[in-house]
Amino acid sequence: MQQSSEYQATGYQTIVRAIGWLTIVFLFFPVLLTIIVSFNASFFIEFPPKALSIDWYGNIAKIHRIGHATLISALVALASATVATLFGICASLALVRTELPAKAAITAFFVSPITIPMVAIGIALIQFFILLGTAFTWYSLLIGHIVLVLAYPIRTLVASLTLSNMSLEEAARSLGATRLQVFMTITLPQMKPGLISGFIFAFLISFDNYPISIFLVRGGLTTMPIELFNYITQNLDPTPAAFSSLYIAIVSIIIFFAEKRWRIISYAIH
Amino acid sequence: MPLTSASFSRSPLSFWRRYRSGILLLTPLIVFLLCFYVIPLTNLLAQSFSFSSGDANRHDGWTFYQYLKTYDSARLGRVLSRTFRISLITVLITLVVSYPLALLLLRASRRLKTAILILTFVSLASSLIVRNYGWVVVLADGGALNSLLIGLGLIVQPIRFMYSEGAIIVGLVHFAIPFMVLPIYGSLLRIPPSMREAALSLGASEWACLRNITLPLSLPGVFGGTMLTFAVSMSAYVTPLMLGSPSTAMISQVAAEQLLVQLNFPWGAAIIVTLTVLTFLLVAAYASILRKVFRATV
Repeated sequence: MQQSSEYQATGYQTIVRAIGWLTIVFLFFPVLLTIIVSFNASFFIEFPPKALSIDWYGNIAKIHRIGHATLISALVALASATVATLFGICASLALVRTELPAKAAITAFFVSPITIPMVAIGIALIQFFILLGTAFTWYSLLIGHIVLVLAYPIRTLVASLTLSNMSLEEAARSLGATRLQVFMTITLPQMKPGLISGFIFAFLISFDNYPISIFLVRGGLTTMPIELFNYITQNLDPTPAAFSSLYIAIVSIIIFFAEKRWRIISYAIH
Repeated sequence: MPLTSASFSRSPLSFWRRYRSGILLLTPLIVFLLCFYVIPLTNLLAQSFSFSSGDANRHDGWTFYQYLKTYDSARLGRVLSRTFRISLITVLITLVVSYPLALLLLRASRRLKTAILILTFVSLASSLIVRNYGWVVVLADGGALNSLLIGLGLIVQPIRFMYSEGAIIVGLVHFAIPFMVLPIYGSLLRIPPSMREAALSLGASEWACLRNITLPLSLPGVFGGTMLTFAVSMSAYVTPLMLGSPSTAMISQVAAEQLLVQLNFPWGAAIIVTLTVLTFLLVAAYASILRKVFRATV
């Protein structure tokens, strides 16, 4: 009896472990192949590569307006993540540290843009901006991205404030510190992990967005995902693979150091 | 009379005094969301009840014309059922492959755990277009999978994997795994390890532990993950655009096509409102069934 149940246990554990590892392989598989193909000498996507070269990395500049588009994406991501984080600080302070009616409903409203299809947000905003006469401007693009990323810093900041120790603030107040002093020296440092992870997620999500941006841009205003998408649909050569490999490398470095320094991932899980 | 008027004027004032700091902190955000989220979406909803300039029998005022057209359209019926089918299959596959990964994470050593989590986050954070491009590299006619199968002598001619529902599902599962793994892992972390140890020391098998302790207690994470995955699959836009073809179009694509190419705003609005409401209703129905069946707090 005992023997057989132990046998079963190891059998099932092996299967679970095997599926788990296969999932990791599945997650990494297209990334790995993209990196390999980016060093392919041939003009077409070809696997395995017959000869290696780094020419496609030099060809990245040939993607239409890619430098300009990446710059716009980076600026919009920086600005929208900053504004969303500032909104997030106010919202999390109000939701965690003050008395308010219907807190659950307010929180649900703030994070609801995540659950609305992005195409719906894009369409709704562009129609609204056409009515206002401000369509296809950089600030209407920025506003769209703030709506898109707002929920992420709010969630991480609420998490880090809920975990922080309020008695430290009360002690400081009773020892005569002003509200501003308490906020700057105690509350804000305690919010730091949520602040940083919220900002990084907001930045990456804005930088990557296609379905909202596609409605909000036209003419000279363009973003990195849009130009990359256009190049992929119009060309067959491995230049996008080179660009993608570079992108994945940079994102990995950012996440690796942000996790080492600020443990951003643990804040995203809670 | 004076008493009533006094209490009448005092009650908003006492409301203000009581919640002043909270209201002041939230006002800018609420104003922003009203202007650029609530009003545009309300406008979208209103548009969906109007006529487009090309519609026959148009008149001023409200109409259900766009919704009737959506309901009557054979193509939209097919697109809607395809979107639902693809989303359902995506959720099921994602759950089956993600739960073991979450268990693996829970039992892994500290270093391995960090490595897997970073990999999951890199996957989550690398551009969706970049990841779909990776699947194009794998699934294309001259891509990695066909080369491998031909190299092994299993097939002679390359198989067309791209531009199919299967390719979309592969891309969506890849996209959805982090959304499933993280909530499940989060709920697994909240199970006290002592429960499993107690069961094991009383002679329960590992399998009995999983079935009777780990699985039931991790259900909130499973529910959260499946709902999120279903919602992102239903509204998928970029993945079917890159890995599918017009004959495998999903609902967001059809709505976007009406708005970007056909310039039929009212119909596009009606399609996207239908998608939003349908997704919301399906998720709400799922949550209420779960509440009844498992008595879980979802």
